[in-house]
Amino acid sequence: MNKSPKYFLFLLLGTLYSSNLDPTFLVLNHFDRSLPHADSSLIENFSNSIFEFDSTFHLLFEDIDDYENPAASYMNTIKELGKKHKVNFILFNQIKHVDDRFMLEGQLFNTRSGGLIYRRKIDLMNYLNGQINELNMWVGNVTGSIDDKWQKNRESILFRDPEDIKQEKTPLGAAMRSLVAPGWGQVYSGKKVSARVWVGTESALSLAVLISFLKYDEAVKSYLANLTLYNDTYDEKEVADYKAKAESDWDDHVKFSQLAIAFAGATGTGWVANSIHAWIVGPRPYKNIYQKWDPKSPNKTG
Amino acid sequence: MKCHRGQLIIILACLVVYSCTIFEKDFDNPVDFEANEEKGIGAPTLVFYPKSQTKTTSDSVIVGSFIIFKEDSMEAFSGVHLQIEFPNSYLELDTITPGLFITDTSKSTPLFTYTFDSVNTIDIYTYFLDTLKTDLLGTGHLADLVFSPTGTGSDSVSYNLNACEMIDHEDNVIVLKGDRGAEVIVE
Repeated sequence: MNKSPKYFLFLLLGTLYSSNLDPTFLVLNHFDRSLPHADSSLIENFSNSIFEFDSTFHLLFEDIDDYENPAASYMNTIKELGKKHKVNFILFNQIKHVDDRFMLEGQLFNTRSGGLIYRRKIDLMNYLNGQINELNMWVGNVTGSIDDKWQKNRESILFRDPEDIKQEKTPLGAAMRSLVAPGWGQVYSGKKVSARVWVGTESALSLAVLISFLKYDEAVKSYLANLTLYNDTYDEKEVADYKAKAESDWDDHVKFSQLAIAFAGATGTGWVANSIHAWIVGPRPYKNIYQKWDPKSPNKTG
Repeated sequence: MKCHRGQLIIILACLVVYSCTIFEKDFDNPVDFEANEEKGIGAPTLVFYPKSQTKTTSDSVIVGSFIIFKEDSMEAFSGVHLQIEFPNSYLELDTITPGLFITDTSKSTPLFTYTFDSVNTIDIYTYFLDTLKTDLLGTGHLADLVFSPTGTGSDSVSYNLNACEMIDHEDNVIVLKGDRGAEVIVE
């Protein structure tokens, strides 16, 4: 199998609830990566199934959420497929991989009404045969025949004791880092764009504080120098000249003092805001509470 | 890390607090008519420069006497009578010399004489004399009074404004509107 999404169709005929009812399933699988054992696993685990392969269902149910009523989005198609394959239900299974995770979405359609009657989305970290295992659990859940070994296999990536959960990165860690250096907490959280924005903003504000302070300091020194010259002369013209310069310096020192205070206030406020932002966007372990898969450990096999 | 953070905060706080310091606008040169006006002393004014000085007993104390007019004043004067009192408890009159203004920057020789009552009052009489000009216009230096300290103390040299007089070349009186003394400290 190549990387391009591959579609295969297999027909699973089996019983669901009793021997009197014979619900039959048309299963449409859409995987973004090759899963060579998927079909054999389903055949093995759901022995009363018939498989057919068909590539005509390209991207058939991918955009279901774009519809105002997703459950009724493909009613005619579902009914036609049901008539064509003479099945009661259609199972559409989609697996997508993102980095070290995979998302399984299962949709169960009733061919009599054409509506979506059951849907499941699972977002999990990769584990050994995880995709096949989750596919079996989903199909088993629909058919009502879940094997305990699938459940144990999934549990192998879960922490049995909450105390074992080690959160490598926390929002508080991000906030504290940003309190020390603006943008550090965002970098720590992997938010590089916002980190650059914060670093740039705080750097610019700090530079403005520094420049204002240096200008203030320069104005103060000049004011004191001209005031001394003003006091040390009794020449009428020099008195007027030094006074004018000293007054100009005095106005400057007031202006730059106010600017320095305003920029310092903005820098401080921004600094705190940056820390709060780091806490808000800080890493939270809602997707990462699984322990790493260790195939050598005998009690972690499914 | 906490220590560094604390230091950073202290430095920033100091920077901000120091930035907050607004210096007082303190223009108080006796020769500045605006500074005198802010103190309620109108022009023309008789003042001493410097307004305050601290000397030791081995130093000479030089006090300059100045007449201050407003910048745009058109009042011209020719003669002045100054009556000055000084603290004789620790100062002794040494000499009195004409100022640059009354000599038109040493271009002319004025009439310049003084009397001392041998106690603490000096009367200076001076009249501007020139071959071309009849009077002087503007702020300037009238005389320098040189004292020798005889002890230590802190007091003021001052004008007796009621006895002081200023006239133009037609002997018309120009009203003096104020005066400022000078503090002399001998340590």
